[in-house]
Amino acid sequence: MFRDLTFTDVSRAEAVDDASAGFVMDEDAFRAFYERTARGVWAYLVRVTGDRQHADDLLQETFYRFLRTAATYDSEAHRRNSLYRIATNLARDARRRSLIRAPFSLPCTDIERVPSGDDGGAPERSADFTRAMSRLKPRERAILWLAYAEGASHREIADVLGLSPGSLKAMLFRARRRLASFLGGRP
Amino acid sequence: MKPIECEFESDVLAAVLQSRMPEHLRAHVEACAICSDVAAVAGAIDDAREEMRASAAIPDSGRVWWVSQMRARREATKAAGRPITAVQVIALACAVGLLGACFGATSVWFQSALRRAESTLAGFSAAAFLTEHGLIVLAMAIVLLLVPGVVYLALARD
Repeated sequence: MFRDLTFTDVSRAEAVDDASAGFVMDEDAFRAFYERTARGVWAYLVRVTGDRQHADDLLQETFYRFLRTAATYDSEAHRRNSLYRIATNLARDARRRSLIRAPFSLPCTDIERVPSGDDGGAPERSADFTRAMSRLKPRERAILWLAYAEGASHREIADVLGLSPGSLKAMLFRARRRLASFLGGRP
Repeated sequence: MKPIECEFESDVLAAVLQSRMPEHLRAHVEACAICSDVAAVAGAIDDAREEMRASAAIPDSGRVWWVSQMRARREATKAAGRPITAVQVIALACAVGLLGACFGATSVWFQSALRRAESTLAGFSAAAFLTEHGLIVLAMAIVLLLVPGVVYLALARD
C-alpha cells in the first residue's frame, strides 16, 4: 500500500498537515486572545474604513495574517499593537483599492445602523458622531479612535500607524480640534 | 506658539471616562480650549465605542481558527506543489530539446531547409533591409514594446 505513495506525495501531505504549525499560537491561546481583542479591532476597522461589510472581511484577514506572522511577542501589549498594525495596513490597502474602483463613494455611510437604546437622543448623537468622523481623514480617525477608544499611548499609536512619535502630539491635537469643531457644529 | 497640550488633559480624560467631573475640572474645561476639545471628543468616542461593542456581530473564535487553518492548508498545498511543477517544466523542456536534436540530426528535409536558409542569409544585408523597411521595423518594435506595458498597467490597476 505504501508503495503507491511517491516521495512528493508524502512531503506534500506533511506540508499540508503542518499548516497550522506555522501559526504564531495554538488554538486555545488564539481563542482567548481573539475573545479579548476582536470586538475592539472590529470597531476600529469600522471606524477607519467607514463600512461594516469591509470591517467584517478585514477582521478575518487581520487575524489570519496575525497567525501567520513569524514574530515573537514580549508582552500582550506588543501582540495587540501588532494586531492593530496589521488591521491598519489592511484598511489602508482596502481604501486604495476602493478608491480606484469607486472614486466618489462616501465613507461612513453604513455605520449609522446602531441599535436604539433607552436614551431617545442616542441614535441622533450617534449619527452626528458618524457624520463628524466621516469628515476626518482616515489617519485622523485612526489616531483619535486609538487614543480615546483604545486608550493607546502616543508611542503605541505611532507604532501602529507607522508615524514618528514626535509628530503624533501635533497630529492628535489637530485631529481632535477638527472633530470637536464638527461635533459642535463649528465650521 | 499656540500650545497643543494641557497639564490637565489626562485628568479631564479620566473624569470623562468615569462620567464624574469634579467642580474644579469643570471650571478648567470651560476655560481651556484644549481640555474642552478633549472632553467633547473623548465623551463622543467613548459613547460610540460602547454602542459599537454592544452591536458588534463578530464571528465565533472557533470559526475564525477553523477558516484560518483551512486557508493555511490550502496555501501549504499550493506551496508544496510549486517545486514539483518547476521540475516538471524543466523535464519537459529537456525532453523537447532532445527530441528536436534527434529530429534535426536525422531528418533530410530539415537539413536541406537549413542549407537553403543559410544560403539566403549569406546574401542578406541588415543595413540594406533597414534602409528599405526601416519604418515598418520601427513601428513593429514600438508595438512590441508598448503592448506588454499597456497590458501590464491595465491589469495592475485591477
